[in-house]
Amino acid sequence: MRTSSDNAIEAIQLAKSFGSTLALDGVSFTVPRGSVFGVIGPNGAGKTTIMRALLDLIRLTSGRATLLGTDSRNAGPELRRRIGFLPGELNLKGRVTGRRLLRHYANISGPVRSGRVDELAERFGLDLDRTVRTLSKGNKQKLGIVQAFMHQPDLLVLDEPTSGLDPLMQQEFLALVSEARAAGQTVFLSSHVVSEIQQAADEVAILRDGRIITVAGVEALRDTAIRHLRLSATDLTSADLEGRLANLAGMDELDCRPTETGAEATAVFSGAITPFVQAIATLSLIDLVIEEPDLEEAVLRLYSAPEARS
Amino acid sequence: MTATRVRLAVDRLPLVRRTALPIFTKSLVDGWRSLVGWSVGFTAALSLYLPIFPSMSGNSQMQDLIDSLPSELTSTLNYQQIDTGAGYTQSTFFGLMGFLLISIAAISWGAAAIGGDEESGQLELTLAHAVTRVEVVAQRFAALTVKILVLALVAFVVILLWNGPAELDIDVANLVETCLLFGGLALVCGSTALLCGAITGRRIWGIGGGAAVAVLGYVFNAIANQSADLEWLHDLSPYYAAFGNNPLTNGTDGWTLALFYLAALVLGALAALTLRQRDVGV
Repeated sequence: MRTSSDNAIEAIQLAKSFGSTLALDGVSFTVPRGSVFGVIGPNGAGKTTIMRALLDLIRLTSGRATLLGTDSRNAGPELRRRIGFLPGELNLKGRVTGRRLLRHYANISGPVRSGRVDELAERFGLDLDRTVRTLSKGNKQKLGIVQAFMHQPDLLVLDEPTSGLDPLMQQEFLALVSEARAAGQTVFLSSHVVSEIQQAADEVAILRDGRIITVAGVEALRDTAIRHLRLSATDLTSADLEGRLANLAGMDELDCRPTETGAEATAVFSGAITPFVQAIATLSLIDLVIEEPDLEEAVLRLYSAPEARS
Repeated sequence: MTATRVRLAVDRLPLVRRTALPIFTKSLVDGWRSLVGWSVGFTAALSLYLPIFPSMSGNSQMQDLIDSLPSELTSTLNYQQIDTGAGYTQSTFFGLMGFLLISIAAISWGAAAIGGDEESGQLELTLAHAVTRVEVVAQRFAALTVKILVLALVAFVVILLWNGPAELDIDVANLVETCLLFGGLALVCGSTALLCGAITGRRIWGIGGGAAVAVLGYVFNAIANQSADLEWLHDLSPYYAAFGNNPLTNGTDGWTLALFYLAALVLGALAALTLRQRDVGV
């Protein structure tokens, strides 16, 4: 039986305006427990606003959100004890060491299993005995990640978690996300780096101008995406090749050139695969490359052509 | 219950212990350097002023000098009664240098407590943890109160130490009351800074609000001292409410003392209510 408590987050028509600016314009989505849900969008799309509203840091103009079965509005400390939050602009100051700062947050939101903090710090190569204000941006980010994960919360809300991390640490972070999911935790994360969402998330919401344009599984999103295509065949003319390919639906930027032995073509293809395969089945191919669709490119297309898909 | 949940529950068994009042404790621990610094400043200021009292009180030239000053100046500085130890300490320390120092300390602490913390982005992270906004304000207000009372205690102890050697002849009960008034006045300034910081989320507005109470209180008192026509300005001056009746000489009453601490509590409560209502970190 699926009840509402099977969802870690249920957001219903979230709207938020700051003065005359509409930051969120009726955003609805659900995040099933134990899944990883990503939000992508350009800066200013409303990603941070959604997260702040979920944490009750800002109050919605209308709409409501339920987290772990509790209404987020004026939710008590008990709810936030079960949430780990990493703010988008993490600003850590002060003369305290990382260890003391983490102990402070553990005092508030703990219990934290002993050894857990050191374990996490070690994974990220973070020196906990340095004072917070002397840490680099990347190291502050690591400290922020540790404070979000250390008490093993049921729900993680992470705003641009990998910003400032080098690629190796990004991979470590993604591993941490996978482990969290395996342990039954739910992860809600935002990014403007699509590849990281592609790797980590089960579902992706694409946000623009305070609206969700689409929510899809990563796979589904990939299916709607475009593929780069390159093929080369012998014993036919360039015009002949063009004749076979040009009429296929979803074939764009087709460029056919003669070669020494026949012809080659490059194109951007967003149509169905089968007709394409049929069209080239009788050719004597010497090379065929269909590049895996790039989510980033798919997403960029969504941004640049708002009317096309709404 | 699923297997993963059982595992999570087992994982959590060995715990790092939680302490009570974490926000309050952290405010105090983080602020110890500043508190020590201000205490040293207090001790230094008092130890510069108080020991020279005997040479001033017995000195008719000094009295002549004061008599020759414009009466507006002496009444502003409250120097008319500088010939007694209590009057001298009141005028030089509580009324002037000490008031300046403790106000700056209280206002900077109060402005940083919520407004400064929000401006730097750290409040957002704290509030995302398992506390309520009211708890955060209440515990930081409590820490502010404790720090100010520590400064008042330092003033008390140092003056008490100089009381004999500097021939001040101050009544200890009056000294206790004056130090409490001194702390209460600073706490009102600091709480105003905290409230303004909580309303705006900006440190600078906290400083502005707190400084307005301190400076206007002082200025209203000084102007009202000049003329009977302007005496109504005394009613608007927290500074006058605390020091107008020369508490170090005459003592004060419980109501006046209670008024300051109640006012500070009301300001703190307003800060908590304001912060509870609004968006944080925008």
